[in-house]
Amino acid sequence: MTWSMPNFAIARPRDIESAIAAREQESLSVFLAGGTDLLVNLRLGLGHPKLLIDLSTIDALREKSLATPGIRIGACTSLMELTAMPAIRQRYRALAQAAEAVASPPTRTIATLGGNLCLQTRCVYYNQSEWWRRSNNYCLKHEGNVCHVAPQGQRCHAAFSGDLAPALMVLDAEVEIAGRNMQRRRVKLVDLYREDGRAHLALEADEILVCVHLPPDPPPSSYAKARVRGAIDFPLAGVAIALAADGKRLLQLRVGITGTNSRPFLLQGVDALIGGTLDGDALHYLETLVQKQVQPMRTTTISAHYRRLAAAALVRRLATVIAATPEETGQTTGIADDQDHRAAT
Amino acid sequence: MAQRPAESAKKQLVHLQLNGRWRDDAVAENQLLVDYLRETARLTGTKIGCDTGECGACTVLADGQPVPSCLVLALRCDGRSIETIEGLASQNRPHRLQRAFHEMLGTQCGFCTPGMIMAAEALLRRNSRPSKEEIKAALAGNICRCTGYVKIIESVHAAAEWSP
Amino acid sequence: MREPSDLRNRGAPLIDGIDKVTGRARYTADLDHAAALVGRIFRSPVSHAEIKRLDVTKARELDGVFAVVTGADCPHTYGVLPVAMNEYPLARDRVRYRGEPIAAVAAVDTATAEQALDLIEFEMHELPAYYSSPAARADGATLLHDDKPGNIEREVHHVFGDVAAEFEQADLVREDRISCGEVNHAQIEPHAILAEYDPAAQRLTVQSVTQVGYYLQLMLARCLDMDVSRIRVIKPFIGGGFGARVEVLNFEIIAALLARAAAGTVMMQLTREENFLTHRARPHTEVTLKLGMRRNGQITACACEVVQRGGAYAGYGIVTILYAGALLQGIYNIPAVKFDGYRVYTNLPPCGAMRGHGSVDVRHAFECVLDRMARELGLDPFTVRRANLLEVPTRTMNQLVVNSCGLSECLDRVEHASNWRARFGKLPPGKGLGMACSHYVSGAAKPIHWTGEPHAVVNLKLDFDGSVTAFTGAADIGQGSSTMVAIAVAETLGVSLERVRVVAGDSAITPKDNGAYSSRITFMVGNAAIDAAKNLKAILIEAAARKLDARADDIECVSEQFSIGRRGQARLSFAEVVKEALIGGGALQVKGIFTCPPEAQGGKHKGGAVGSTMGFSYAAQVVELTVDEPTGAIRVDHVWTALDCGHAINPLAVEGQIQGSVWMGMGQALSEETHYLDGLPAHSNLLEYRVPTIAESPPIEVQIVESRDPYGPFGAKEASEGALASFPPAFVNAVANAIGIDFDQLPLTPDRVMQALVERRRKARASALKGQAS
Repeated sequence: MTWSMPNFAIARPRDIESAIAAREQESLSVFLAGGTDLLVNLRLGLGHPKLLIDLSTIDALREKSLATPGIRIGACTSLMELTAMPAIRQRYRALAQAAEAVASPPTRTIATLGGNLCLQTRCVYYNQSEWWRRSNNYCLKHEGNVCHVAPQGQRCHAAFSGDLAPALMVLDAEVEIAGRNMQRRRVKLVDLYREDGRAHLALEADEILVCVHLPPDPPPSSYAKARVRGAIDFPLAGVAIALAADGKRLLQLRVGITGTNSRPFLLQGVDALIGGTLDGDALHYLETLVQKQVQPMRTTTISAHYRRLAAAALVRRLATVIAATPEETGQTTGIADDQDHRAAT
Repeated sequence: MAQRPAESAKKQLVHLQLNGRWRDDAVAENQLLVDYLRETARLTGTKIGCDTGECGACTVLADGQPVPSCLVLALRCDGRSIETIEGLASQNRPHRLQRAFHEMLGTQCGFCTPGMIMAAEALLRRNSRPSKEEIKAALAGNICRCTGYVKIIESVHAAAEWSP
Repeated sequence: MREPSDLRNRGAPLIDGIDKVTGRARYTADLDHAAALVGRIFRSPVSHAEIKRLDVTKARELDGVFAVVTGADCPHTYGVLPVAMNEYPLARDRVRYRGEPIAAVAAVDTATAEQALDLIEFEMHELPAYYSSPAARADGATLLHDDKPGNIEREVHHVFGDVAAEFEQADLVREDRISCGEVNHAQIEPHAILAEYDPAAQRLTVQSVTQVGYYLQLMLARCLDMDVSRIRVIKPFIGGGFGARVEVLNFEIIAALLARAAAGTVMMQLTREENFLTHRARPHTEVTLKLGMRRNGQITACACEVVQRGGAYAGYGIVTILYAGALLQGIYNIPAVKFDGYRVYTNLPPCGAMRGHGSVDVRHAFECVLDRMARELGLDPFTVRRANLLEVPTRTMNQLVVNSCGLSECLDRVEHASNWRARFGKLPPGKGLGMACSHYVSGAAKPIHWTGEPHAVVNLKLDFDGSVTAFTGAADIGQGSSTMVAIAVAETLGVSLERVRVVAGDSAITPKDNGAYSSRITFMVGNAAIDAAKNLKAILIEAAARKLDARADDIECVSEQFSIGRRGQARLSFAEVVKEALIGGGALQVKGIFTCPPEAQGGKHKGGAVGSTMGFSYAAQVVELTVDEPTGAIRVDHVWTALDCGHAINPLAVEGQIQGSVWMGMGQALSEETHYLDGLPAHSNLLEYRVPTIAESPPIEVQIVESRDPYGPFGAKEASEGALASFPPAFVNAVANAIGIDFDQLPLTPDRVMQALVERRRKARASALKGQAS
């Protein structure tokens, strides 16, 4: 290797409680899920943990249950496994599409559901080598005190860039979190995030994301991301929509967005459209909502303005497509049919 | 007075199957699979083309699935089966993908080739007659700078047509 | 399934292909270096500064550190052009870009080496830094190099013909200003070198990723004050070059300095980020191009200004700016040409040569403007190109000789293959067709170092076992040049390809070669290989004649059988002839050479040698694409390319080279671009530097056109670079065809496309409002 990996020890606990105990004993420790993001960051010098607590040895984090109403998926389920689950492909289509849009097949083999939800936020001033960041006097997110993206401001603007979160949000997913003393809590996925690039997860240091609960009978849904290349790239803007209609009348609509802010979020104000039809005015209203609520900053080499416009364009496109074919979209078997344009995959 | 040199990481024993043979090795806890393969097992067919996990040159198979070996800790391979480009040929007879990449010029400089072939092998094992779109989807994490990918797609097609 | 016979018709697989597909091929990083020290470089954190203090004492004292070197250890500049060596391998007194090497350490392992880097103390006085050509050229700007006023490395002003008068003759004059982003080779193999110093013998052996082993040997001798005979350069397998390695790179000299200082072996592997810092690729270029055209599409005159943002040091810069002007010619018949070129120093990593060196960005602008003028005149894009074709043989105004040109046939082929006439202008909204042409040299006719030696030398050995071994210094970097040499030898000798081995790129064994650049190997080394094989064949024919008691002139050799006349009864096997030929003298060693005649070496005007070549390749290209207006994303649907390579010695390899070069042009057009943030590369990984993946890469249909160059080996010319430059303009022309917007920049990332669409909508609204108001 050309950049050396910092020294750390590995703990390989068998159960969640041991993992949390290990975390409590060593303050300079981090949880390791798939590692596709964490190991790269460690090699860049972003963090110097003494201990990595490997979650891949914990069977409880890999359990999947289709029996309960809805679906329960362990946080350490790989994205590859996730996209292979017929129930996900058929009924929770946005999730399958989002998982297939992550990076590339080899990465998806090891990347996990929980890892993608807890992905570190990203920024061109942050995802760089130690030499690079040191030459730039570091940044607010790590070891520095200025956000180079918005030097006047007080906060870090690194963008959350996981693909799965908006898909799960529009599917109304909840996450189950384990904490110390065998405590468990369950929160809406939306509430897992905060609009702060430096601390975007509402998780205590010793909490572990155990699994995701998906409610039964989801509305038809879809995910699309704007990116430059057809693979590898993180979303410049990623959009998920769940939409149910009765004929032309909108019954249910949720819009989730990633890649533009420090957190993935559900678009506010869409309820005003419920009961109406998805006509030109409604689509225009949706686009306006998106443009108002996304806050892309200069965290990528592609312009922030583009990410705003692309998010709006993708929302319009997905809403139109789902509204036009609600039946089919809900139970399609393949997801390749939407890949006829790479910007929409 | 001289400074203290960098401390070396603690080692643990891993027991894994490498290209069909079980072996035990002491690996540093922070060692990546790609470094284990290249430095400990001396299998240098697996290449390093980037430092950040996106080029795909280090792709190997772990329990039959393609993984970027630069994003996997060697310790995590305990008890697992790892296959590299060196394990594909049997008795020095090139595997069908190797033959196809050679004959159809799916390789030029050859640096991305081992990773590309391993990703293609994973595809052919689960899909014996992949379409062009399926080939593109499976190889989307392997960057080639020489071929424009045209002959890579032809190579995988040709190999799929040859019985294994 | 393809049978072996099909393969033979298509061409030969690479002679080293099996090694590559099985993982046996050893690249530099794969060489045994278990016992070697690890070399790491301490790099400048700032863009421009005077070095006030550099103290490596603590680094040197760290346990496990065997050597530390600084600028004090090498008082010699280096550089590829003898007239412009203005760079030290390790900065002395001043640093001029972020990432410039300042010091280096050799230690027992990477962790120790990195720890030692942190112990280096460095103080400086910062100077103003410039990241764009206009900023560096502005009045009062601090000079990067004291002897270069205005921060201009080289100005070129060439005028051929009566430019003003010819513009007068035009029915339409148009000027556009087109800018092309800086790109990088991004070869998949990161830079690496294994340097071994033997203090007893005072010899240095390096195995490096170089495309130019000979220059490396020269430059190491210069920088290490060593006799060049004590240096051996070996080229292992190379994971791509594309020009990244056509000049000696700082890390190669630094590793050698470390090896000598440590009296041992040093392995230095650069990170991907360091590869981007080493750079030496295609500069950001502003082209202002004015063309005059008659109603029938004939070009009357061309006036072109080119400004290249060259980075902090000279490198190949002078050649790049000269190529930009010289290759305005040699493809179309243009009565008058004016060129004004400016190569500018900026505080960024130095640029250099990259596939299509010097020609790509200018050709891009030229072919875009041609298309726009065709549209204005109501002419088909093909018609405009056909109105300006060269008649060969000819000599251009800037004294480039053109002995063969198959561009007309290239145009016919892609026009037909793409069904252009039936489809151009008739595609649904958002879909477009575009075309363009390009050309490139088959080796620079005038070498950089003028020694009076031939341009290429190939040695052949034939021994008792009947094996033929070709020795060449030419670097196979994946393009298949060793395979080409094997084929040239086998075909000339009339023996099977399997009988021929090629040993390449080891200065202790192979004859000197200028290297793998400017697409020179097929033309020059191919001719030398044929010459050597002819010389060997003459000896074998003599031997056969002796044995058959016949006249040498009557001996025929076909498929390793020697006979008197084609149908002669008495036949000798190859083994029998070899046995006869070796009697008395033993193993045969012959050599072949190739030299470009002086009349092909360009004009007498200053810089006139650049662009001169024995043969130009020509390409025509059609691109079909779809623009997704809501997201600004462009998908390339199909590419048709025709390239005149004179003759395809190995059609399989030629096709592969054409596809690869077209696709590299696509990367530059679609997604590849460097981004500096105050001189720091934001693009320094393969996530932000977006080399296309297989997902968005289109089918590329190749047509090989064979114009049979009178001087090329078997009539061959180059095939690896010529087709690159026509992709970006064909692409931009196709975008214009699809959505009616002419783009003046590269690459067309979705944000730029979106921006243009938004502006168009805004203008449409504004003019609609105006309409209402009036």
